[in-house]
Amino acid sequence: MVDLLFYVAAGVSVLCALGVVVSANPVQSVMMLLGSFVGIALIYLLAGFQFLAAIQILVYGGAIMVLFLFVVMLLNQGDPVVLAREQGVLRKEQLAVGLAVAGSALAVLLVAVVRTDLPRPIFGYLWPEGGLDPLLGMAQAMFGPYVLAFEGASVLLLATAVGVMTLAKRQRSTPVAAANEEVSA
Amino acid sequence: MVVVKRRELTFWERIYLPEIFRGLAITFKKMFEPRVTRQYPEETLPTTEVTRGQPRLVVKDDGNIACVSCGLCEAACPAYAITIDGQETERFIEREPERFEINMLRCILCGFCEEACPKEAIFMSDELELADTTRQGLVYDMKRLERPASTLKPRIDYVRRINERW
Amino acid sequence: MSFVIILIKGALIYGGLLGTAAAMTLAERKVSAWMQLRIGPNRVGPGGLLQPLADGIKFIFKEEVTPDGANKGIFRLGPIMAAVPAMLTIAVIPFAGETTIFGIDFGLLSLTDLDIGLLFVLALSGLSVYGGILGGWASNSKYSLLGGLRASAQMVSYELSLIMTALTVVALSGSMNLREIVEVQNTGNFLDWHCFTPVVGQVGLILFVITTFAETNRHPFDFAECEPELVGGFHTEYSSMKFALFFLGEYCAMTVMACLTTVLFLGGYSVPFWEDAPWIVQVGTFMTKTAFFLFLFIWVRWTLPRFRYDQLMNLGWKVFFPIALANLLLAGAVISLS
Repeated sequence: MVDLLFYVAAGVSVLCALGVVVSANPVQSVMMLLGSFVGIALIYLLAGFQFLAAIQILVYGGAIMVLFLFVVMLLNQGDPVVLAREQGVLRKEQLAVGLAVAGSALAVLLVAVVRTDLPRPIFGYLWPEGGLDPLLGMAQAMFGPYVLAFEGASVLLLATAVGVMTLAKRQRSTPVAAANEEVSA
Repeated sequence: MVVVKRRELTFWERIYLPEIFRGLAITFKKMFEPRVTRQYPEETLPTTEVTRGQPRLVVKDDGNIACVSCGLCEAACPAYAITIDGQETERFIEREPERFEINMLRCILCGFCEEACPKEAIFMSDELELADTTRQGLVYDMKRLERPASTLKPRIDYVRRINERW
Repeated sequence: MSFVIILIKGALIYGGLLGTAAAMTLAERKVSAWMQLRIGPNRVGPGGLLQPLADGIKFIFKEEVTPDGANKGIFRLGPIMAAVPAMLTIAVIPFAGETTIFGIDFGLLSLTDLDIGLLFVLALSGLSVYGGILGGWASNSKYSLLGGLRASAQMVSYELSLIMTALTVVALSGSMNLREIVEVQNTGNFLDWHCFTPVVGQVGLILFVITTFAETNRHPFDFAECEPELVGGFHTEYSSMKFALFFLGEYCAMTVMACLTTVLFLGGYSVPFWEDAPWIVQVGTFMTKTAFFLFLFIWVRWTLPRFRYDQLMNLGWKVFFPIALANLLLAGAVISLS
């Protein structure tokens, strides 16, 4: 049952990931990406990481993809069919670079998967029987051994937020210039 | 140019919550006040002699229609809603309508016909409801328009009283 | 056997949810009528009680219009995405403690007892943004698009305050499991309910209730619809059952949010002065508390005028978010000191 569910979830996320690249319509791509995230969340759930699954949906599904949608909708990307005709298919060099990046990423992943000694069974709770509650375990790991990395990440995020604000503010300080830019764009 | 000076809000108003609670209290109180709704088809509006409803033809006490088919109402009607075909009659008045139709889809209930009539034969009754499922059903023929003078009495008296003033 | 029990529970809970949503459509019209000195719908059934049924039948028989130039697939996806997450979230709400009906042990009266119950609710209510934004975009109409954009911006902004306020309760009760959150409050003394925790509880309750208004796109924050400006907002182009699904989603979301407020701040199913109340009393208590918040949704709608959009954003980011953060900090301080 768990295996079957895993294959369903994995299949959904892989197919949706393909759909992201293949769809002509950007909004459809975003929806495909959302489907992919939901599939990944399901895999987390199967592996017993309820918290991670919920966070995956909450942060990626609920917030980040909405922002993506926002940007896609606000940008006037024109009629997708016309765009596809104008741009035509990818050039040979582009295709080669893309394939090379994807292929090397796949190779690295395969090597990593083969060489890592995964615990058995992979699915079901990874935590010791009757021992740690997954949520508690995660919290203890996060604020125990990994507290420095955790806080470091939060500082990084803060820096990003401040940076974005500064950039946005600078643009607004000269409204005329900003307006002109918008018109010319 | 009008400069609207906005009043500076006090601290309590700026917090907004107390004012919201005050508003909520008002709407809550309103829930227990008497209703103003009238249950229309069952409870109709009271009518008086001033109510200008739909035009009706007067049937006199002797059973004859008062109309002499002079055509004045037809001419006065701004919406061309009235159609009259006259015929001769043995009665003293010599003429009476053979056909008297008011197309209620056209009628604008202005009451000009009532004013125009020299024989006190057409009056605005207190009937207000005007609905049907077909267009033909709303073209009222003579039978549909006739009303005994007794039921129109208050209106007739009212119109006479008004007309005396001229 | 356990499967049958889950089926029965599911039927009860979902029947209750959909019934509540239907009743809310009637209550909305009735209460608004009472507040405006009117009578409200009273023609279908005794006192108008069957009005939701009549509305449902009407919706089914309406013509379904898909605008020309709409993205068909996503247009269809919109109402589904609006209704499904709202309905899913009810699964983790505990309606009563240990329940025994006719000698059969039903356990906790909720569909599942997730350790991350609260997170589950928040995650799914985050997904309900998509209904509005997808429906609005796919309709190929300017009003719908604006409504959808407003809805999504508003919900993403207020989600932060919602989560922060919910975290306050998590900190107070030391768990994300909704059953445990209720059990912490269920001591027989109603002063142990989180809404009676000095300062933190009251601020939290007020913040939470107001943010749920924004999250469910209700007055005075209903910018997604905003009739005077946007015709009907994101559901301008929808008709028939698709429109009904949007409606159902909105009322289900309201019901779930009212349940959640009850669980987080009003002690869920805990009965004052009666710790081990029988399940039926607990369910009754829960429903009474929830009904109050549902009434509040309607009450506020017919009292307050709509905000302006920039006021909404200012309120969300510059007032609610800092207060929620400060409240969380205060809760942390209170806990570490006591």
